Amino acid sequence: MFKKILVANDGSDGAKKALKVAIELARKYNAELHSISVEEGVPHYAATIGEVEEYRKEANGFFRNINDEAVEEAKKSGITLHIKVKAGHEVETIVNFSKEGNFDLLVIGFMGHSKIFGRVWGSTSQNITKLSPCTVIVVK
Amino acid sequence: MEIQWFQAALWIGLALLAAVLSVRIAISIALLEIIVGVIGGNFLPLQRTEWVNFLAGFGSILLTFLAGAEVDPEVMKKKFKESMTIGVLSFFAPFLGVMAYAYYVAGWSLPEAQIAGIALSTTSVAVIYSVMIESGYNKTELGKIIIAATFITDLGTVIALGILFANYNWYMLIFIAVTAMTLFLLPKFVPWFFHKVGSRISEPETKFIFLILFGLGALAVMAKSEAVLPAYLVGMVLAPFFLANSTLSHRMRVTAFTMLTPFYFLKAGSLVQLPTIWNSAALIALFLILKVAAKFIGIWPTMEIFKFTRKENMYTTLLMSTGLTFGSISALFGYTNKIINQEQYTILLTVVILSAVVPTIIAQRWFQPDLKKEGENV
Repeated sequence: MFKKILVANDGSDGAKKALKVAIELARKYNAELHSISVEEGVPHYAATIGEVEEYRKEANGFFRNINDEAVEEAKKSGITLHIKVKAGHEVETIVNFSKEGNFDLLVIGFMGHSKIFGRVWGSTSQNITKLSPCTVIVVK
Repeated sequence: MEIQWFQAALWIGLALLAAVLSVRIAISIALLEIIVGVIGGNFLPLQRTEWVNFLAGFGSILLTFLAGAEVDPEVMKKKFKESMTIGVLSFFAPFLGVMAYAYYVAGWSLPEAQIAGIALSTTSVAVIYSVMIESGYNKTELGKIIIAATFITDLGTVIALGILFANYNWYMLIFIAVTAMTLFLLPKFVPWFFHKVGSRISEPETKFIFLILFGLGALAVMAKSEAVLPAYLVGMVLAPFFLANSTLSHRMRVTAFTMLTPFYFLKAGSLVQLPTIWNSAALIALFLILKVAAKFIGIWPTMEIFKFTRKENMYTTLLMSTGLTFGSISALFGYTNKIINQEQYTILLTVVILSAVVPTIIAQRWFQPDLKKEGENV
């Protein structure tokens, strides 16, 4: 049913739950499993390249750790996890990556915002679900 | 004495506020410090004391050095012809266009118009870089050409700032001779000296760089030139060493961004008069349009000659229209040296800030070229 699964991993508790479900589904359907992590805080309108590079160095260190853990967890279930870290807006980057990679399932953790923010803009999970080109599972 | 500490608390409190906001909303610390500075200057009892002016001046020199130290010679070499042509035209077209408008139409004096031309000729390599990191263009051929061209444009800006208002006398001769000698010796001396002294908590490496920047800065000012010119050139000649030595670069950035550049950007913002923005809105809009239009006149035909697609042309030209660091340095140079008044400073800085934001949004929203096609050229 699912041949290529993408899981969004930002290291949050929701993302960890989503990873577990994605690994389980990849095992069940014998599917390829990929993960995408988004460096969301790249400083816009910076004064020096250094400011951007310093942020990226920190973010890369953070994502390296969470992705190492994710790869290890997938390995325990006999699944190879292909990881990718991209900079950009979280919703846009995940949606575009799932389009470009022709994924047939996207698994995300529930990512809540404050009530006011959620009402105005919609939560990240809501927006991804709305814009995604493939089936989405939101894990709570 | 308590007034000094109160002022210190106020300035550093504003710097902290900008830093926290920057983390929350992913806007650069520089832009937020300017904006917070505008609020501080207009609504709080913020004083620009002598020590604030010194730290701000030091911040601008160090910022320029760091910008110079980011010039990657490999990127410059790869597409030298394209990046040199685009970079030179990207400087001269807005410099001449804005200067002519300010002088002939807006009625500014020649030195005032020259400051306007310099401040609006700049292109912000860092603004472009963050856009490219997010889109992945930094790895493409087009991305590398744009970044290299930006370094050339910035060099044009600091040279113009350094030579247009200088006195051509013995001091200038001494300044040129000492700078040339220093630039020749530094790439050989610095690796040897830094290896000898090693990395210590007392930071002998950082102190050595400060010594060079202060020494050449003093000579530049004696010749009525500008200290940012030698700072950028020293950064450029040491760039290969600094690019290969990320720990040292990191430590210098920490020094700059903790204690020095906040004073520079906050001061730059604090000098903005809010009523002037409202009263001069039309001129601000005109200058912004003029800057972008002049960049188009300079860059578009060149990109056509180099056979880039229409979308790539639009994207490149819009990104080359951005400005921030060198634009604000030029405007503040003009105000500090009493070449322009506070109203003119407000107008120029507002245009500089708008030029960081408006062309970037338009380029990203409507003219982002297809990365897959572009990637094939890498």
